[in-house]
Amino acid sequence: MRTVFLFQESSSLPYTLRKRLPRKLPKRRNDVYVNMKTDFRAQLARCQKLLEGGGHREICVHGLGLAINRAINIALQLQASSQGALQLAANTSTVELVDDLEPEDPDEAGEPMTRTRNNSAIHIKVFYPDAQ
Amino acid sequence: MSAAKVKMREKKMRNQPASVQYPSSSSNVESSTQNGADAPGTGKNADPLKGGLSEVHPSTERQKKTPHQSGWVRGHHKDGGGYTKEMPKYVTAGAFARARAAEVSAMLKAVRKTTSSSRVFEALPKHMRRRAMSHNTKRLPHRLREVANRMREKGLQAGSKKKKEQAKSKSRKARRRHGNLLLEFNRRQRKNIWLETHIWHAKRFHMVKKWGYCLGDRPTYKCYRACYRAMSSHCLLQDLSYYCCIELQGDEDKLLAALSQLTSKEAGPTFAAALCLSGRRQGSVMVYRAGRYPSQPLGPVTFLWRPRTQGSVHRQLWIWAHPTLKQDLLPELQTVCQCCEAVLPPAAPVEVNPTLEAESEPENTPEAKPVPGTKRKRSRKDATGPPAKKILGDGTRLRSTPVSWRSSSNGIVINDLTMEIVRYRLIGPQSHSVLVDTLEAATGCDEVPKSQTCSLWWPQHCSDEAKMTLHQQQADIFNILKGIYSTAELPSGTVLGLTVDDPRLTLPRKRVKALPCVKQAQEVDEEKRQKLMLEGVPEPCCQSFIWEQSVRDNVTDNKISEQELNRMRSEVLVPGSRLSPTPLQGRVPILLVEQPGKQVGHEMSSWGAGWDLLLPKGWGMAFWIPLVYRGVRIGGLNMSLKHSQNKAAPHFPRDYPDCPAGMRFQEEQEAELLNKFKRHPPAKRTNYIKHGCVAPFRCPWQQLAEEWEIIVREGGSQTRTTAQADAVTEERTSQQAISITKPPSRFTVLRNRKALKLLSAWCRPTTSKGQRPCRVGELPPISCEAVTSFLSAHAMSLVWVHVSLPSKGKPEYHAMLCVPTPDDLKALGNRQGTGGPQEPPHRDHFKSRIKRRKKDPKKTATPSVTPDKPDGKKADLIFASDLDTNASKDPKSFSESSSDLVLGLWPDPLPSVASHCSRVTVGWVTQGDFSMSAGCGEALGFVSVAGLLNTLLNQTSEHKGKLLLRNPTSLHYRFAKINIEV
Repeated sequence: MRTVFLFQESSSLPYTLRKRLPRKLPKRRNDVYVNMKTDFRAQLARCQKLLEGGGHREICVHGLGLAINRAINIALQLQASSQGALQLAANTSTVELVDDLEPEDPDEAGEPMTRTRNNSAIHIKVFYPDAQ
Repeated sequence: MSAAKVKMREKKMRNQPASVQYPSSSSNVESSTQNGADAPGTGKNADPLKGGLSEVHPSTERQKKTPHQSGWVRGHHKDGGGYTKEMPKYVTAGAFARARAAEVSAMLKAVRKTTSSSRVFEALPKHMRRRAMSHNTKRLPHRLREVANRMREKGLQAGSKKKKEQAKSKSRKARRRHGNLLLEFNRRQRKNIWLETHIWHAKRFHMVKKWGYCLGDRPTYKCYRACYRAMSSHCLLQDLSYYCCIELQGDEDKLLAALSQLTSKEAGPTFAAALCLSGRRQGSVMVYRAGRYPSQPLGPVTFLWRPRTQGSVHRQLWIWAHPTLKQDLLPELQTVCQCCEAVLPPAAPVEVNPTLEAESEPENTPEAKPVPGTKRKRSRKDATGPPAKKILGDGTRLRSTPVSWRSSSNGIVINDLTMEIVRYRLIGPQSHSVLVDTLEAATGCDEVPKSQTCSLWWPQHCSDEAKMTLHQQQADIFNILKGIYSTAELPSGTVLGLTVDDPRLTLPRKRVKALPCVKQAQEVDEEKRQKLMLEGVPEPCCQSFIWEQSVRDNVTDNKISEQELNRMRSEVLVPGSRLSPTPLQGRVPILLVEQPGKQVGHEMSSWGAGWDLLLPKGWGMAFWIPLVYRGVRIGGLNMSLKHSQNKAAPHFPRDYPDCPAGMRFQEEQEAELLNKFKRHPPAKRTNYIKHGCVAPFRCPWQQLAEEWEIIVREGGSQTRTTAQADAVTEERTSQQAISITKPPSRFTVLRNRKALKLLSAWCRPTTSKGQRPCRVGELPPISCEAVTSFLSAHAMSLVWVHVSLPSKGKPEYHAMLCVPTPDDLKALGNRQGTGGPQEPPHRDHFKSRIKRRKKDPKKTATPSVTPDKPDGKKADLIFASDLDTNASKDPKSFSESSSDLVLGLWPDPLPSVASHCSRVTVGWVTQGDFSMSAGCGEALGFVSVAGLLNTLLNQTSEHKGKLLLRNPTSLHYRFAKINIEV
C-alpha cells in the first residue's frame, strides 16, 4: 500500500494515504483479472490454457486502470492466435475505489477521512461463437 | 584403583561364588601348595586315606601346575610367583574335583545366566538386527529364541509385579467415566491453564506448554500449504484466548493522564487517538515503562474503549496483552494508576460462579497429591462427594490471589480479566462470510409474560425499548456484511457489538464451506453498504453487553449443557431441523473486531485481514464447533508466526529483543537450540566456527550496536574495508575495559515514526526500473551531515527491516545480514544471475584444544594458545587476529571457558561480531522462510542503524538498500533487498 504525504487544502496537517483494494466479485473459473505485476506472457498463457485445455467456451478478461491496456492486448492476442475463431465483446465500467486518509498526528487532528474516487475498467468477453 | 576399575571388577565378580577370589594385587604372600584352594586341610587329611586309590596321571600332573596360586591371577607375573618351591608329589582326584566344584558350578551358572542389562538381540551384530525384535522373538535367529523367550517372560512377570505394587489403577471404563475424567482433567490443569478448546486441540495438535498455558503448536496432520491457502483465500481460525485482558475503569481524563505516561506520540497513535477513544476502532500501541519512552519498552498491546454512555465521563478500557507481557505490564499499570489497594476476591462477583467450587475441590486433599499410589483413592473419595465442576477460566490461580485493584486517590479500578473472555481470530478474506453463516442476530422474546420474573438477562433487555432498537440496528449492520466480498473492504479495526443466538442451534449436519453468496449480496441495500465501507460502524452500534460483568456471568452460568441440547434436539419432530422456539438461555452478547491485514509495503496489501470474535467465557466450544463446521482451517502458534511473517509485522515476543519478554524469549530459544544441537553426535553437528558464524543460536544485539557505534565514531564516513573494521575492532577490545567501568547504554529498537520514515526513504533506490521516484516531501536526501545528525540521536539503535531475496535462497532465523563490497555489487551489475559471493571457510582453532583436553585432562590448565598458522586468506587473518586479541587479553578466562567448550561453537566471550567474516555484518534475521505470497525468500530482522547508514552512504543510488544475507549453516552469500516499512 502506497503511503504518500498529502497536504489537505483546508489544513496544513500531513495525511497518510492508504488505498484499499478494489472490490472483488466472487471469481468464476473463467474470470481472468489482469494486473501489471505478473508477466504478460504468463497471463496470456493462462487465458489460452483456459480456452483450449480448460474446456471453457468463453472467458472474461477484466482490467482496471492501468491494466486496461494490457487486458485489451491480451484479448487481441488471443484472437489473433486463434485465426479468427474467437470473438470479442468488450464492456467498460466505472469502479469506485476507496482511499483512507490517516492523519499523521492522530491525537490533534481528529477524524481520519475516507474518500472515494472512480477508475475505469474493462471487461472483455472472449468466446467461440456458436456454430449454427 | 580408579572408580571405573572398581566398577568393572564388581561387574565381573557379580556371579562368582564367595569362595572364588579375585586378587587385585599380584603380591601373593600366601603360597598355598594345595590343589584345592580353600580346603587345604581336608585335602591333606584325605590323602592318606585315599592315597592308594588315586594314581597321578600325567594329565593331572600337567593340570596341577596351572592352579598355582590361591586364586586366579590375571596377566603375566614376573616374579614367577605361581611356581612355588615345593610342588605337591601327587594329586588326589576326588579332593581335586571337590575343591573345584564350587568354581565349576559358578562358571556354569555365569554362563547360563545372562546379565540382565542387555537383551539378547543387543548381542547380535547390527546387520542382523531387525525391527521389533524385542516384541516378536521369531525375528531372532533360532539359536537365540529360547533365551529370548525366557527373558521376555521374566520381564513380563517383573513388570506386572511392579505395577501391582505401584497403584491399583481403576479399569479404563471407570477412569473414562465422566465425573472421574473431569476430576483428572481438573487436576491436570492446575499447573498450566487449559483453554476451553483444549480437549479439541489436544486430539489434533502437538501441544506445547508455554507461558503458563497448554497451547496447540501445529496440527498433527500435514496442512502447511492448506493453512496458507486458507489465510489468503478463505478463512483460518485460531484460539487466542490465552491473550490476557486487563480492564481499566475510571474517569476518561484521569485514565488518559495515567496512560499517557506509558506511550509516546512519536511512536504513533496513543491511547487517546480520537477514533479509538470513541470506541469505534481497536487501536494498538507500544507500551513503555512509565516515562521512559525510548529506552525501556515493554511490548505491544491492543486496546479497546467501551463507547461512551450518555452524560457520563466514566469509561471502560480493555487492554489486550500477550501473557509474557502481562507480568511486566500489570505492575506498571498499577503504578501509573496508583492502584495499590487490592480488592479482595470475595467482594468481586467472580467468586460467585462455579469455578471456585471446582478449584477448591482438588485443594481439599493437597497432601495426597505427591504420592502416586494414593492418587486414585483421592479421586474415588471425591466421587462420592458433590460432582466435579468443569473449570472455566483460570484454573491455576489461587483463590486468594487478587484480581482487582482500586485506587483511593483517583478512583481508577484495574481488573485482571485473564481467561474471562474467549477470543477467536478468523484470518482470511472470507472470514466475514463464515461469521455471517455461523451467527444469527438474537431473536426477540415477546412471548414471555412480564409478570414472570426471570433471572436471565435477555428477557429483561427485551422489555427495554431503547435496547431493542439498538439491537435492531446492530443486526442490520451485521446483515450488511453479507453484501461485501472481502473482509479487507471494511475500515481496519472496526468494532461491532452484537447479541446472537446460540450457534449450536443452527449447526449444519455436515461440514460445509461457507462462501459468499452473490444472490444474497445483491439483496443488500447498496447505499447502506457504501456507508459501512466508508464510515464504518456508527458509534452506538459498537456497544455490547459483553462489557458488563453481570451479563457475562449470567450468560456463562445459564448456558444450556450439551446434553440438554441434544435431548431437545431429539424431541424435534423433523430430525435435523432447527429448534424452535429458541430456548431463552441461548442469547450471547459478543463483540466483533476487524483485524487489519498487511498494512506496509507495496504488494499483497491487506493480506491476512480478518475478524476477532470475543465471547464470554464458557461459550468457547459452543462457538468453536459451529465455526469449524463452516469449513475453516484451524491454525496453531506456528501459523500465527507465519501470519505475521507474511504480513511483514513483528511477532511478539520473538521480534522485540529490547523488551523484557523478548529477552526472556531469546534466552529460552538459545537454551532450546543449544540442547538440540548437543543432542546430535559431534560428527553430525554443523561446525559453526568453520562457517564463520559467531552466534548461531542467539543474536548479540548489544555487542553489535556497541561495535557499530565505535566503528562509525572512529571511522567517520570513509570507505569501510574489512581491514579497517578489524583495526577498529581491536580498538574496541582495548576500549572494552573502559566501557566496562561506565555502564554502557542499552540498545533500543527505533520506533520513532519520523526517523523511520526518513530511514525508509533513504533505503529505497532513487532511480530504478519500474519504480516511480518516490515523493518524499521535505525529507532531506542522504548526506554526511544528515547522517551524522541522525546518528547523534540514534547511534545505539536497531531498526526493523523487511528483507526479500530477489533470486535464490531461503533465509533461516539468525542468518547474517552483511554489507556487500563494491566488487560484489559490480559483479551483480554485470551478470544478474550470479548467486552471490562465497565466504572462505574458517578454521576451528578450538577443535584441537578440545582434542587435547580429551587426551590429557590435566594439561588444559596451561593455556598454550598458539593458533595454527593462518594461510594467506584475509578472513583467516582476521580470524587469527581476533583470536590473538582475545587470547592475549585474558588467557585465564579463556582457559576457564575451555571447560565448557562445545565442538563447533564459539565459547564466550565472543570475538567481534561485526567484522568476523569477509563481509561486515550489520544485523541478523529473526524470522525467515520462503514466502508463498511473494514467491521468494523473505525474512524479517534487525540491523544496526549506524551500520546501515554507513552502508547506505557508500552505496550508489541504484544499489541502495542491497545487502548480503548468509545462513548460519552456509558459506554462500545471497543478495537481498531491504525495506524499512513504516
